[in-house]
Amino acid sequence: MDFSVAALGGAFPQLLPAMGTNLAISLVAMLLALIGGTTLTILRTLGIMPLNAAIGVVISFIRGTPILVQIFLFYYGLPALGLDLSPIQAGILAIAFNSSIFITEIMRGGLSGMDSGPVEAAIALGIKGKVIWTKVILPQLYIRIMPPLVNELTTIVKGTALLSVITVVEVLRTAQQVANASFRPLETLLAAAIILFAVNFVISQSGRILETRFAARRG
Amino acid sequence: MAFDFNVILDNWALFARGTWLTIVIAVAAVAAGFLISMPIALMALSHRRTLRWIATAYVEWFRNIPFIVVLYLFFYGLPFFNLRLPEAIVGTIALAFFASSYFAEIIRGAILAVPKGQMEAARAIGMSYFQGLWEIVAPQTVRLLVPPSTNTSISMVKETSVLSAITVAELTYQGLVVQGETFAPFEVFLTTAAVYWVVTAIFAHFMHRAERAFGAAQGAHQARSSLADKYLLIGARRPA
Repeated sequence: MDFSVAALGGAFPQLLPAMGTNLAISLVAMLLALIGGTTLTILRTLGIMPLNAAIGVVISFIRGTPILVQIFLFYYGLPALGLDLSPIQAGILAIAFNSSIFITEIMRGGLSGMDSGPVEAAIALGIKGKVIWTKVILPQLYIRIMPPLVNELTTIVKGTALLSVITVVEVLRTAQQVANASFRPLETLLAAAIILFAVNFVISQSGRILETRFAARRG
Repeated sequence: MAFDFNVILDNWALFARGTWLTIVIAVAAVAAGFLISMPIALMALSHRRTLRWIATAYVEWFRNIPFIVVLYLFFYGLPFFNLRLPEAIVGTIALAFFASSYFAEIIRGAILAVPKGQMEAARAIGMSYFQGLWEIVAPQTVRLLVPPSTNTSISMVKETSVLSAITVAELTYQGLVVQGETFAPFEVFLTTAAVYWVVTAIFAHFMHRAERAFGAAQGAHQARSSLADKYLLIGARRPA
């Protein structure tokens, strides 16, 4: 069987709309992960020992296990607990949970490298903790960690392709369906790969541009 | 809901076999990936623009698509070259190429971090480029290679779970098999995850020892007052 360029080109019209599902999932997951990661980070600075120990175990667990197994845990496990979730919901939750753990670690790194002057000034002025977070620390922190956050977004986009395994009809699963009908698996999957590559390449390159910009701004 | 240990005890042989295959595939793919990455890294540092471009395209391609897509491309692509191999071999090859793009970036960075004068001195005393690379530059990169290679290798151990998608009987696949028989998702996937956790922890432990043996630089600590530590420091690094 020869490689068919026509089959490669013909796959794009069917796959491009499916990529929209990946992007939608990615954005929702990223948003949830940012909220989760920020909450975890603030909780960790409170210095409540048992809580920090528990969060530490969860961080180690999430970082030491494959995201695919985490997706299976959410997809097969949560319904067993009585939570009835669609594959897409389970997938979003699994990815967001995984990502919030990586984001809180990114934030921890960002915090430890931050200039303490503004925070000391805020403490000296008697500003309350909540306000110190929202007005002093977080705005600086998000700018500081923008490059690794963008990197995390590409990880999330890559993670959405794994949801094909739990029957979410995103770009990879669509490619498999198209291939089953056309008997052109390689061409169709290559088309899906090109689409995923293009999206991630644009995200990671803009991350690099941001990095040089912010590096200049930080002086 | 109680954790039913019988699910695990009755199927321990499957988990054990899956774990073994996971370790074998991870080790083989990391070793092969490192070998493949060396010429790629050298191409990325070449004076020829074409070679640099090829290396960049290779690295960017693999780093910007999910491993599951790489795996399927190899799975459906190799038969085009009349290569019909067992799934486990296909998966290992795919993972090796995927890993090589990450290792190539690490090696490139490490070589760039060695001062230029080292290679220039090697060439000046009559060594060839490859002699200088192997005898003078390479030994100085080892210290810089170990920490990022540890992280990449651990990532690759975790990526082996994706091989379950092409029915390679590694740990995750065995987990799915046991799940299909017992319908005990929590027991099965928590156990599966715990095994990965242990494997990656052991892996990390040995790599950290290697790091210390090679005298990796300790992160410099910033001097500052402790007033703001309440907000800016998390965990063990908080001073007492």
